[in-house]
Amino acid sequence: MEKLYVNEIWPDGDVSTVGLFYSRGEAENIVAQLRSIPEKADCRYEIIEAVAGSPSTNPPKQARKAGKE
Amino acid sequence: MRGTTPRREQGMADPVLASMVHALGLETVPHYTAATPKVQAYRDSWVKLAKFRDGPVNPQRVEVNDPAEMTKQIKAKATELGAHMVGICRLQPHMIDLGEDVSHEFVIVACVAEDYEKVLHGANAVEEEAMRTYAKCTEIATELAAHVRNLGYPALAHHNGGSDVQAIPIFYQVGFGELGRHGSLINEKYGASFRPGFVTTDLPLTEDRPREFGVQDFCMNCNVCQLNCPGDAIPKEHVMTHGIKRWLIDLEKCYPYSRLRDEYCHLCVDVCPYNVKSHSEIYRSFMKERKQVGYKTPKSW
Repeated sequence: MEKLYVNEIWPDGDVSTVGLFYSRGEAENIVAQLRSIPEKADCRYEIIEAVAGSPSTNPPKQARKAGKE
Repeated sequence: MRGTTPRREQGMADPVLASMVHALGLETVPHYTAATPKVQAYRDSWVKLAKFRDGPVNPQRVEVNDPAEMTKQIKAKATELGAHMVGICRLQPHMIDLGEDVSHEFVIVACVAEDYEKVLHGANAVEEEAMRTYAKCTEIATELAAHVRNLGYPALAHHNGGSDVQAIPIFYQVGFGELGRHGSLINEKYGASFRPGFVTTDLPLTEDRPREFGVQDFCMNCNVCQLNCPGDAIPKEHVMTHGIKRWLIDLEKCYPYSRLRDEYCHLCVDVCPYNVKSHSEIYRSFMKERKQVGYKTPKSW
């Protein structure tokens, strides 16, 4: 089964993982819904394959340790 | 307010689970069809209460001059109804399901702790205890929402019989705890062994704050849940979402144990060392048994 991450990239470079999805159709559907949200109009989205054996990705350079905005 | 967080659907509405079920030549999820009469009765209870999620608001509104005092009263009410933990925060878009519209300003979360001793008695015991707590949370959310509406403010209950809100971001924001490697939120007292019900409302209240007590650092070094997972579904590495570390469970590996058998799987929660704080002797005894059959146990607690 395909494993794909959807990442949300904010104008300031902050990268947030939206989730792990198991088909390109499902991932693209999520991206389409996110793109329709006015507050996220400036965000970009990427769909990337999860590496086999490692079902996650490393934190982006811009990642803060903890705590919400 | 429009929600921004995708919800993983349950049962055959989940495309991942549905494709795995169909690949086995089945029509439905084995775990769901194997429900005991007691479990089925719990499930029926929240279906019956679904129609009471919302209701008429008392036109005689009680004026709230002191939101802090009202917050105390609401928390006392939820506790009286049976909640072990109650938290409140301002509702934000990432706490609402993607595409859903919830107009309320606040969300109240009431949690009921599972009986840790019961959940160690096998898969059926886990299932019954989980459903018992979900049913209790449904009752609490339903009654609490009715109580708030009786005060003259709109209120909507969110529970297994119907929900538009996301548990984890709300747990985090009200200070119940931090995300654990096993994908659940860890509370300092109850570990991850608790279940929630929610009420969204415009009743003036005061907010709780996020609270951290070292879970993120602890989970970076502790891999007990990962090494005890029968499906190897818990990742070694984390992702970041709005600056928060998340370990995303690989559902393709989790479901064969948690959904495609007749029995439930709860092991990642049961072996978490944070259980030791509330159930020291039971946890140590449980882990000793697991160690004897070759499973990883914590180096220290």
